[in-house]
Amino acid sequence: MGYVGHMRYGAAFLALLLAMAMLLLFQVQPLIANTVDDATLRPVDFDAEVLPIISEHCFRCHGGVREMNGLNLITRDRATQVAKSGAFAIVPSHPESSEMIRRINLVGGAKQMPPATSALSAQQRALLERWIAEGAQWEKPWAMQEIRDEASPNVRHASWPREDLDAFVLAELERRGLEPAPEADRQTLLRRVSLDLTGLPPEPEAVAAFLADEGDDAYERVVDGLLASPHYGERWARLWLDLARYADTQGYEKDLPRTMWLWRDWVIDALNADMPYDEFSLRLLAGDLLEDATEGDRIATAFHRNTLTNTEGGTDDEEFRIAAVMDRVATTWQAWMGTTFQCTQCHGHPFEPYAHREYYEFLAFFNQTADVDRDDDAPILKAKSAQFGETSVLVMQELPAEQARKTHLFLRGSRVAPAEEVTANTPSVLPAMDASLPRNRLGLARWLFDPKHPLTARVAANRQWETLFGRGIVESSEDFSLHPQVPELLGHLATRLRALDFSMKAFTREIVLSATYRQSSVASATTLARDPDNRFFSRAIKRRLEAETVRDASLAVGGVLTRTMHGPPVMPPQPPGVWATVYSGENWKVSEGGDATRRSIYTYWKRTSPHPQMLALDAPSRETCTVRRTATNTPIATLATFNDPAMLDAAGGLARRALLEEHANTRARTAYMFNVALSRGASSQELDRLDAFVEGERERFATDTTARDAFLAALRTPDGTLDLSEYAALTSGANLILNLDEFLTTK
Amino acid sequence: MPNHDAQLLHLEAATRRRFLCDAGLSLGGVALASLLGNTASADASGATTLAHDKPKLHFAPRAKSVIFIHLAGAPPQHDLFDLKPALDRYNGQPCPEEFLKGEKFAFIKGHPTLLASPFKFAKFGQTGMELSQLIPNIGSIADEITLLRGMKTDQFNHAPAQLLMHTGEARFGHPSMGAWLSYGLGSAKAQLPSFVVLVSGDKTPDAGKSVWGSGFLPGQFQGVQCRTVGESVLYLDDPAGTTRASRRAALDAMRDLNGLSPFADESTRARVEQFEMAYRMQMSVPEATELSNESAETLALYGATPGQASFANNCLLARRLVERGTRFVQLFDWGWDAHGTSPDDDLLHQLPKKCMESDRPSAALVLDLKRRGLLDETLVIWGGEFGRTPMVEYRNGKKEFIGRDHHPHCFSMWMAGGGTKKGFVHGATDELGYFATEGVVEVRDLQATILSLLGFDHERLTYRHAGLDQRLTGVVKPSRVVHEIIA
Repeated sequence: MGYVGHMRYGAAFLALLLAMAMLLLFQVQPLIANTVDDATLRPVDFDAEVLPIISEHCFRCHGGVREMNGLNLITRDRATQVAKSGAFAIVPSHPESSEMIRRINLVGGAKQMPPATSALSAQQRALLERWIAEGAQWEKPWAMQEIRDEASPNVRHASWPREDLDAFVLAELERRGLEPAPEADRQTLLRRVSLDLTGLPPEPEAVAAFLADEGDDAYERVVDGLLASPHYGERWARLWLDLARYADTQGYEKDLPRTMWLWRDWVIDALNADMPYDEFSLRLLAGDLLEDATEGDRIATAFHRNTLTNTEGGTDDEEFRIAAVMDRVATTWQAWMGTTFQCTQCHGHPFEPYAHREYYEFLAFFNQTADVDRDDDAPILKAKSAQFGETSVLVMQELPAEQARKTHLFLRGSRVAPAEEVTANTPSVLPAMDASLPRNRLGLARWLFDPKHPLTARVAANRQWETLFGRGIVESSEDFSLHPQVPELLGHLATRLRALDFSMKAFTREIVLSATYRQSSVASATTLARDPDNRFFSRAIKRRLEAETVRDASLAVGGVLTRTMHGPPVMPPQPPGVWATVYSGENWKVSEGGDATRRSIYTYWKRTSPHPQMLALDAPSRETCTVRRTATNTPIATLATFNDPAMLDAAGGLARRALLEEHANTRARTAYMFNVALSRGASSQELDRLDAFVEGERERFATDTTARDAFLAALRTPDGTLDLSEYAALTSGANLILNLDEFLTTK
Repeated sequence: MPNHDAQLLHLEAATRRRFLCDAGLSLGGVALASLLGNTASADASGATTLAHDKPKLHFAPRAKSVIFIHLAGAPPQHDLFDLKPALDRYNGQPCPEEFLKGEKFAFIKGHPTLLASPFKFAKFGQTGMELSQLIPNIGSIADEITLLRGMKTDQFNHAPAQLLMHTGEARFGHPSMGAWLSYGLGSAKAQLPSFVVLVSGDKTPDAGKSVWGSGFLPGQFQGVQCRTVGESVLYLDDPAGTTRASRRAALDAMRDLNGLSPFADESTRARVEQFEMAYRMQMSVPEATELSNESAETLALYGATPGQASFANNCLLARRLVERGTRFVQLFDWGWDAHGTSPDDDLLHQLPKKCMESDRPSAALVLDLKRRGLLDETLVIWGGEFGRTPMVEYRNGKKEFIGRDHHPHCFSMWMAGGGTKKGFVHGATDELGYFATEGVVEVRDLQATILSLLGFDHERLTYRHAGLDQRLTGVVKPSRVVHEIIA
């Protein structure tokens, strides 16, 4: 479609509408799940509800490319004009005079529209009618509309909200005849918020202290403590490592090692220091261009040096330099704008909001750095670390003006088919870059935080919510063309994030203090029936722990977690033979001492062969930007938690803790282990069952000391005074506990 | 407009998901079924996944399972499958200028010279298929195979070319063919993973585990690497000092405790099912991988020796897996990158060695499948990620060893069974074997054909990701099913 290439705002907007139509057809939940009740909750949303229908059923003949019988439904202006027949398809506010409504309600005959083979449902017909009655508005797609400060809605259950955001959740629940779940019990809440904020479960002492604390602000103080914990940064940096496709190797065939960990540490520290999101983003994208850039500012730019380097023989460096630049474009859009911008890399699409040319104009921002896909990975910043001595990290560095590259549009996305030259610019569908901003990465980063930018705050707020609830308000957090479940809630959160000057800790605090977050995950039968997928946050969502958290939490309850922060990556045990890769002479050499049990964020990450336990638990390979991990449930994953020696090591640790504490007998020790791992006491029934198993194991090990010794051989040498059969049996019990559904999930 | 049927599938998936939820059916059942590939990809945590139901087959399948033997590094077609007498005539002559315009080579420097194959060819089978004497056993099954001489790719480095071959994209992040098929087909039986990867030659392929990864598909569809030495599947073995009975007791206690938890719900049941499945796999995988149960005659047919890591063992294992319901077995054999820098990667030493290792087992696999009545429903594919040059490569000017460089413009692959023609040659190259000239099959055409033989329209086996209905063959350039090779 030629017009896309020269679109001004209006045309771009139309194209955008159409794009949304394509994307929405069957993804929009209300279309599938609508009940008659739902339909009257709010005014008809053109973008979410009408566009999918007319796009599917009308555009083929009346969509601009074709205008059968003079009818074009692409714009409101055109759609409300008189058609060839002399009738008006749409008369805003007057469905009774609108030919469209008459035609869609015909049954049979040539005049029925759409033709009988794709006739509309009664529900769709009613929707179109209501839309015209409401004025036939043609609104911009939701994500492109400016973020509004949403007025707090009225709610009946006025005592429930604790934070402003709760009113938005509650209003939606009430509209749908739902009630929020009761508040989770205190142990559950403490475990949940500890895992969410720090990636570690609470220690038994912390549970006891919290239960004993009768102050009204007990929970608030716990939250503040967790936000101040250095483990907060370690937990939340994981998201940025996935977004940044962070790894300790170059990727591609040789996948040779490279030193990137200074950047990982920079992220951990920045998050711990609560560097505001705008400042943080500015540094990741353009720290080197800041006036008086510090060493830290330059280290931050390693974010975009996590792209792959191809050192395979005979590769065209320019080809892979451009691949890296394109990856930076894609990653920037994914991470900050929840958009897959690379769709326009090859050509424009009539239904896309972005033109082919605009892709390359945006690419021009990233096309001026000095890195060129060479084996040496230059430019590299040498840095001095007090703790680790001299080290280095790959950084972004702008070419001097006289070496500036020209950027060309590539036909079909192929660099061997360059066309006209383009200059750096942002797409016209989004607010224009302020004239005062430099046309470089720094200007671009500042543009993302223009108060009028509709995406940045929404995407960040949604990501934080998704991480804390297991589901975004826009569920497809990588694709903001799909609709939010509770739009006003997202609008409110985005507004709050800005009002808090992008303090992620303050923002996170509001969320975890909310009544919504504090809900129990146990749902009533009514709630289950009316909100089966928990699209409206009518309860907490039980979530499988992330790969890193499964391991970290196991090590923590086993008392074997080494809490040392920062530094070069470490190698915990992995099964032999996993690292037999081409060319690379690197060996997986298990780190010594405590380094083998550091937090997983410090584990060496080889792109072509990540740690198998991480892969089994759905961690990505970090070759491209990953916005959202999907938890899956497979036998391979259960083997990786049940049989992995590291998990047994953790189980042994938990058993030793039980033995070292003063407990009267096996049953008491078993109860202790259960309590430490799950942050709650076992019921007598549970304890009976668990104890029966442990007793059985004790008998087995006492009888078969060969088995016992074999079992213990892999474990750390216990204190000589320990009863070995007891130790082995408790370890076996702990191994079981660390594989319980309740341990592997937040609840 | 996006494909209408793809949209219908989405609608169907969404409505069926809702039905399952509304009807209060056991999610555990769904999750179990998902593992079997029968219905949905239900989510462990019960929350975060957009479940995708299994798309229905689009038409009657010719094959039920696939064994894809990838000779990683790329075998030289001029020395194995594509006889070029002209190379004998022009041996040592400079490659004609017109071929070299705009050409880039991975390693060749300067103006390259043509290289005659040092190996003789002979006619095999009733059709007289011309093949190298390095592969007489493959020659002996010439009447069973379709030879593709006009294969073509657009990648000339190993990692991107392997990615293209297995994921349909030269970039990272896309699901492998086996993952697509597991997503589409699932495993016919419950006891084994539906997508198994077998690696020989001491090394994993250049592109790493991404060539059997799940890309943007849920992780459950990634290939499971199975080994013939050590633990057959990572973490499969119970810890030392435990027994089947003690593990059973642990699982029983785990199931009861999971049930007693105040937080138990459908997702808890789903997890219990996965533990049970793993427990069964701990029996069925070693059983499947235990080659010593094979008769001496069969072992001899393949040249397999139980307990070793070898290409022969992997071929035999592939048959055992397919027999037991695995849908896609991916073999990778490292060591075919014959540049000629040393005896370990040249045409005169390494290539005959690799042929010795692989010729007999490759042919045995086809024969064995045939005599067991499995060949008709099992598609065997054999080939590398690209071809090699008709020119010699003398690395750093040294002429001690001879080799050939990477070559994307033509290469040969063969297929057998699964509805392909028997004793058939498709495609041809020019006089020098530089460009594919007839019956050109691009990588994605091959993929479209494989999907088609399995009952899928490659344009309709889709998964919604990043705003697009993604597919194995990509959404940009049309691909075609090579009907000419289908029986």
